Amino acid sequence: MEYFIHLAILFSIYATLGVSLNLIVGYTGLLSVTHAAFYGLGAYATAILLTTTGIGFFLSVIIGILVAMVASFLIGIVLSKFDNDYYALASLGFNTIIFALFLNWQSLTRGPLGIPGISRPELFGFDFSSNLSFLILSLIILVLIFYISKFIVNSSFGRVLKAIRGDEKAIQVFGYNTAYYKLTIFVISAGMAAVAGSLFASYITFVDPSSFTVFESIFILAIIILGGLSNMRGVILGALFLILLPEALRFVGFPPDIAAQMRQVIYGLILVLLMLYRPQGLLGEYKL
Amino acid sequence: MDIIPQLVLNSIIAGSIYALIALGFNLIYGATKFFNLSHGVMAAIGGYSVFYFAKTLGWNLPLSIVIGVLLAGLIGYALDKLVYLPLRKRKASNMVLLVASLGLFTAIQAIIAILFTSQFQTLSQNVSGQRIYEIFGGVITQTQLIILISAIAITIGLILLLKYTMFGKAIKAVSDDEEVAKIVGINTNRIIGYVFFIGSAIAGLGGVLVGFDTGIEPTMGFALLLKGVIAAIIGGVGSIYGALIGAFLLGFVENFGIWHISGEWKDAIAFILLILFLIFRPRGIINK
Amino acid sequence: MSVLQTKNLTKRFDGINAVNNLSIDVEKGKITSIIGPNGSGKTTLINLLSGMIKIDDGVVSFNGSKELSKIQPYQVGFYEVTRTFQEVRLFEQMTVLDNILVVLTERNVFNSLFEKHKQYHLKKAQEVLEKIGLWEKRNQLAVNLSYGQRKLLEIARVLGVDAEIILLDEPFAGLFPEMVKIVSGIIKELKQKGKTVILIEHNMDLIRELSDHVFVMDEGKLLAEGEPHKVLEKREVVEAYLGE
Repeated sequence: MEYFIHLAILFSIYATLGVSLNLIVGYTGLLSVTHAAFYGLGAYATAILLTTTGIGFFLSVIIGILVAMVASFLIGIVLSKFDNDYYALASLGFNTIIFALFLNWQSLTRGPLGIPGISRPELFGFDFSSNLSFLILSLIILVLIFYISKFIVNSSFGRVLKAIRGDEKAIQVFGYNTAYYKLTIFVISAGMAAVAGSLFASYITFVDPSSFTVFESIFILAIIILGGLSNMRGVILGALFLILLPEALRFVGFPPDIAAQMRQVIYGLILVLLMLYRPQGLLGEYKL
Repeated sequence: MDIIPQLVLNSIIAGSIYALIALGFNLIYGATKFFNLSHGVMAAIGGYSVFYFAKTLGWNLPLSIVIGVLLAGLIGYALDKLVYLPLRKRKASNMVLLVASLGLFTAIQAIIAILFTSQFQTLSQNVSGQRIYEIFGGVITQTQLIILISAIAITIGLILLLKYTMFGKAIKAVSDDEEVAKIVGINTNRIIGYVFFIGSAIAGLGGVLVGFDTGIEPTMGFALLLKGVIAAIIGGVGSIYGALIGAFLLGFVENFGIWHISGEWKDAIAFILLILFLIFRPRGIINK
Repeated sequence: MSVLQTKNLTKRFDGINAVNNLSIDVEKGKITSIIGPNGSGKTTLINLLSGMIKIDDGVVSFNGSKELSKIQPYQVGFYEVTRTFQEVRLFEQMTVLDNILVVLTERNVFNSLFEKHKQYHLKKAQEVLEKIGLWEKRNQLAVNLSYGQRKLLEIARVLGVDAEIILLDEPFAGLFPEMVKIVSGIIKELKQKGKTVILIEHNMDLIRELSDHVFVMDEGKLLAEGEPHKVLEKREVVEAYLGE
């Protein structure tokens, strides 16, 4: 039962990440491979604040969101100068730069040693130390972010995003300053990812740079491509699949120390297979 | 030991390694026009093959090196035939190819980690007993000298190949305009396959040499890939001379860049250089 | 009254002047056609006027605005300009209805998130789609329409925008006679409403039928201009076409 709750918490966190990345990749058509950076900024914000100051979890989430939004604003401005492949490449670059920050700014982040001892959230005296309560918290956040995303996607703003994905130059001629739209959704999405990061930090109670590499960004990308780009329910499905499948391997008898690598092999191969045989993913309508 | 000559030598060595990766990358980009992000892992394949054959199985070292390089080439060739070619036939967009290459990279790197553990290993037999040469006040090991010579030799070899052989001219034709090359009767897919072989083999050699110089670990592919791509882009994507110029420029900027800052920021500096180039001179130094 | 004016407008591609020192005046409320052999620079001109490509030299002014040497695509709406594309550029993965709605809704980021005029936009979209007969197909993806329907949808799009200056790049290309009738009807209606239409077209009969004024371009330059029947008889014009 505890194990199931653990998986469900991981699922909520990754589904949240997937929903947020989908706004950029699935709906706006920007191949961003830097999402782990914002995930990490949220995680580190919470980690640092909870371990070195008296600031509580929920306030740290807000600060994490702000930090991620500022970073994504700056990164988004630079990225807006690029198209397609160069966009993806440059985004990889930014993920690497931020990862280097986590790794090397040791006075702040303790570098490769990571930050242990992060406490669980507390709200009006209620302690989220039991995993079940934490699960409920993360599910609530997932649902919140899911419905915020739905609102965005179904609004006129969302329609413009889809038009940008379809033909950016054409929609510009009709009076839309697409750079503002792309930047806005990028920043909103980064803020959501930061929330997932804060949850992660508090749940695992330890963060270190290795959770926020380029491969994590690729993993989140795999989730949304598997589920089906620009399909909200698809993200949920994709997250479910990619969280559960590696766990299923454990039961088949793979030793736990190569579990992380096996997960990587799986989602790497799934990406390749999807590109070859089903680029629209499980539920998607939009093909890359 | 004066610091400047040493920095210059370090820059040249770094540049040579990056050149080996960038050459293959640019060769492949020239022929296929997409960013093959699985290129870096060919270096890891080269390094680890030699590790396996020479150290684990105890085979003759030169033979192991030859096999390692050929194996890297073969796997690169295989990836083209199994993944990239079918996608190209389907007129898949560059983004699809890029995502597929990300998936391949992710999976292969993890497979290497599973087979050989994530530990850092070294290829050289006796770490301390290497011959050292003094050049203009700086120090360079025998391996590093070999790296430099290899980079130059291979570049010259490639230039000769491309200029003076029918095969090379066919490659150039495919790089200039694939459709026209087809019309003229060139079997473009076969040429591209060979290009993948050659490019990946060169990267494999790079990995082997890095293995002797510092060592191998499963994640080496990514670091080398990034540097190679940065070098390739700032030098000019698709250009052989560009790969060389970009690689040495990167080597210099990195090594002189960290003169007064800690060495861990090398990657970040490399990326900032890339972003600057992408913004101000996206076609690279050699404008194509 | 001049509603659009170019002065010494120039665009270079790889050393060739696609549009070469072009100075023209387009009169308000009239249908003006731009004709010329392939490669004469007609589409380049439209692309310059709609901000799709950068002006190298010269200026453009709309409706008496100040002379512009730089036009950003998203600003042309402010100058009351809209256009169709020669190679139909719809939003393929969006529905017919969405293709129209997206040019009606709030242009501002914040306002579009909290759109207040949904019902109004829906009504306008229905009006426009019914005019071209695509209202029943409003939930179909644009990519699934026939070629003729796609061309009509592009026209519906500019009708939705309701701008004063409408640039149409070969709106009749590849259409069946029934659809040609619909489109010419729409163009005439636009003129009745006082709009200014600039039309790139190859079909001489349609040019004669619709245009008040014709500009003939050749190699980026203005070769001739005037009333259709006069211009189309000019020797230089006939030669330019035959010589291509």
